[in-house]
Amino acid sequence: MIYEGTAVSDGAATGRVFQYEPYQPEIRHDTITKAQTKSCLEKYKDVLIQAEEELKRLIESSELEEEEKKIFQAHIDIVQDEEMRREIEEEITDNLLSPEWAIQEVYERYIKIISKAKDALIRERAADLKDVCQRLIRLWNGGHENPLSSLAGDVIVVARDLLPSDTAAMKTEYVKAIVTEVGGYTSHMAILARNYGIPAVLGVADILKNTENGQKIAVDAKDGKVITNLTVDQEKQYQVMREEYLRKISDMRQYLPLVPETLDKTRIDVCLNIGSADKSELELEQYTDGVGLFRTEFLYMSKKALPEEEEQFQVYKKVVTMYGERPVIIRTLDIGGDKKLDYLELPKEDNPFLGLRALRLCFEMKPIFKTQLRALLRAAVYGNLMIMFPMVGSIGDIRFAKQIVEEVKEELKQENIPCRTDVKAGIMIEIPSIALMADIAASEVDFASIGTNDLCQYLMAVDRLNPSVAKYYQSFHPAMFRLIRQIVEAFKKQKKPVSVCGEMGGNPQAAALLAGLGVRKFSMNASSLASVKKMISQMDICKAERMARTVLELSTAVQVEEYIKSELPD
Amino acid sequence: MYAKQVVIENETGLHARPASDFISLASKFKSKIFIRNMDEEDSCRANAKSIVMLIAQGLGKGVTAEISAEGEDEKEAVEALTELIKSKFGED
Repeated sequence: MIYEGTAVSDGAATGRVFQYEPYQPEIRHDTITKAQTKSCLEKYKDVLIQAEEELKRLIESSELEEEEKKIFQAHIDIVQDEEMRREIEEEITDNLLSPEWAIQEVYERYIKIISKAKDALIRERAADLKDVCQRLIRLWNGGHENPLSSLAGDVIVVARDLLPSDTAAMKTEYVKAIVTEVGGYTSHMAILARNYGIPAVLGVADILKNTENGQKIAVDAKDGKVITNLTVDQEKQYQVMREEYLRKISDMRQYLPLVPETLDKTRIDVCLNIGSADKSELELEQYTDGVGLFRTEFLYMSKKALPEEEEQFQVYKKVVTMYGERPVIIRTLDIGGDKKLDYLELPKEDNPFLGLRALRLCFEMKPIFKTQLRALLRAAVYGNLMIMFPMVGSIGDIRFAKQIVEEVKEELKQENIPCRTDVKAGIMIEIPSIALMADIAASEVDFASIGTNDLCQYLMAVDRLNPSVAKYYQSFHPAMFRLIRQIVEAFKKQKKPVSVCGEMGGNPQAAALLAGLGVRKFSMNASSLASVKKMISQMDICKAERMARTVLELSTAVQVEEYIKSELPD
Repeated sequence: MYAKQVVIENETGLHARPASDFISLASKFKSKIFIRNMDEEDSCRANAKSIVMLIAQGLGKGVTAEISAEGEDEKEAVEALTELIKSKFGED
């Protein structure tokens, strides 16, 4: 059988299915008999030991960043807490609650108290208690640790959806491919898969029902297919496909160290898009001209509570220090739309992509925005940090955002906290209204970056996550190139830099065309660096300009794609 | 019984890592040790060897805490713990 979905991260794989289902605790409110108390207390002690061992293993695993290790160390302190232990044991012996009920009862009691603390930093600790409580209850019920963190052999992960919290500790080296029932090209999972170079096909309906654990399947992440009931021939075919793909990747690596310059000596900046800022993402840092897009929402999404100022500061500082003189463009929080935070309840909206998201949300939740700006301005002391605002729709948005930055600077100054006051501020251009106002916007900001994913979605009026309108999502539509030309010209006139950081920036053919329109800086995922550098080093800017002029006169996206294919064969 | 008051001066207050440091030091003493948030009217003293009780006291920056101890090494315990708070846990 062949099941179809959206190919979001190139490659192919064959392997055995590993169905992942997130753990859902189910707490039974049972009482026990007096005679059972002794055995319950012993089993409870055993659960504490297991919890401690799990946490120690987590801390020792090299996957975690220092910050995360500290959090799990604090969890060990909570597990060992003598007072909690005494209270839980009392609930068991005196009130005859089953241990899982007793654990929940006592933890809830303190979660309530801590959630009421005056200090926000202390309130956030309630999330740690919740996490430990869940761990203990899971262990009591004999549940295993997140199975993705203890994979021991090659698998193809099949799931309904994979959230950042599911994948945070995933042993990526064993994951040969990912298949999910929901999600699309620009969902969180897709970005993660591309970062790690894991082939992925998302949006495959009912794939959990149609596969079973241990079953051998093939994933073709070029054409977006999942193949079950493999014949011997098919299995061979997909293994060959995988090997070819891996060979292509290793061949491509030779282009990584190239200085991105066209044959006629036009230097193009090639930058990196990052999210979590972990080791694997920054591995190719030396081959890039900077960070063109740091998607900070990943710092918020992989956690159980809002990240504190200090924590954000440390991450930003780490990246800007690493990059030295090279610019690091950090985008302020972009949630809403398809990106949700479990711990921050946002009102349900009928049209989340047209709703209260990104900068609009930050304007509504000013304290969250200010915390991030404080961390950014402080980290800017250590390198060439630039702040970028997402979802800017008007000149008013720009002015208001800049005004808040000024307020934060003033506050830091009052508190005598070192920060940089000359940090450059720029905008994402992804809403057509600001694209059309680019000439005026250019005089108000220091730089801009074109987010082609959202720009296409808003320009074409296509929900980019809705599979039934996927064919209308045409990023190669001539309208896109016409609009981008207008933006680039407007910024050129003001002598302000403009880059492209959406998926188009990481597509070698699109990058060639955009260079023809005058774009001199592209930012992309690590996996696209080599192919874009190869394209740049083998093209003439004159030819790119000629191609761009032709494309602007074409009528349809299909024509554009055919034209590119004829001019720039793979 | 020996007691002393001290103002929390470090930025993050008594939670997260500073709280871990605090309880691990407190646990080294044999005496019973208590901590109380003096800025909260209805606060009770809490077991200072328990991280959860410590966090539940809401000891943020600027709050005055009273540390008390009962037992053979009560004086040393209170002195050592107030010193730790005064050192700002090495935060700046």
